[in-house]
Amino acid sequence: MRETDWAPARLIEGTLVARPGFSARAPAGLGRTLVSGDLAAALAALAPGAPVLGLYEPAPKTAHALRIARDRALVVTPAPIGAEDGWRDGWCATTVDDGWATIEVEGDGAPSVLMQGCAADLAAGSPSAAVLFAGFRVLLARTPGGFSLHVERPWLEALSTWLDGA
Amino acid sequence: MLLFCPFCGPRDETEFHYLGEPKARPEPAAEVTDAAWAEYLYVNANPRGEAREIWLHRTCMDVLVMTRDTATNATLSVESSRPA
Repeated sequence: MRETDWAPARLIEGTLVARPGFSARAPAGLGRTLVSGDLAAALAALAPGAPVLGLYEPAPKTAHALRIARDRALVVTPAPIGAEDGWRDGWCATTVDDGWATIEVEGDGAPSVLMQGCAADLAAGSPSAAVLFAGFRVLLARTPGGFSLHVERPWLEALSTWLDGA
Repeated sequence: MLLFCPFCGPRDETEFHYLGEPKARPEPAAEVTDAAWAEYLYVNANPRGEAREIWLHRTCMDVLVMTRDTATNATLSVESSRPA
């Protein structure tokens, strides 16, 4: 292939990378909603009881929110929730079911990949799940088999390419 | 080097972006001379030692006012530009 040719895009969902020691896959069907403003009110309306997670905290399979900033979070749900976009009562919702992507990295080599990509002290914790991973702004959570990265979808291909070389 | 975000805590310096020295923009714009505008844009104190600097934490997008020792890289204080 000539270097000026575009590489075929990877699958948007499914197995992105399969390497000895670890694999990276994009789970299908998740719902994603960005919320701003009064996070407690937003979560009470959109995902009652959903925990708010900081850096590298264990993410349940059920609805949860990944804290981005003081007043911003990404609500991740097992399926799209169809929130009405816009401001109301001090908070705002923006549906990004397809605007963000999730990559789950699993396997014995996952800790090594995590150390290559992230310079933050994960043991120290942080109220914000947002961190730079391989230079990309991601939301980082822990999973039973490794870790998950939530990234704006335009970065999915580049981040997958980085993971393929990790 | 670790820098401190008031919300996120200590993070690697690669997560931060230097925005400049805190200084007031000359106003009103219609009366600002070219020389005054050029000084505002390009002339900085850049002291050796204690300096006040504006930084952006790129992951949470907090804008910080940091007092830092430019000789030792020690952070002396940091405050968010946003209310807690």
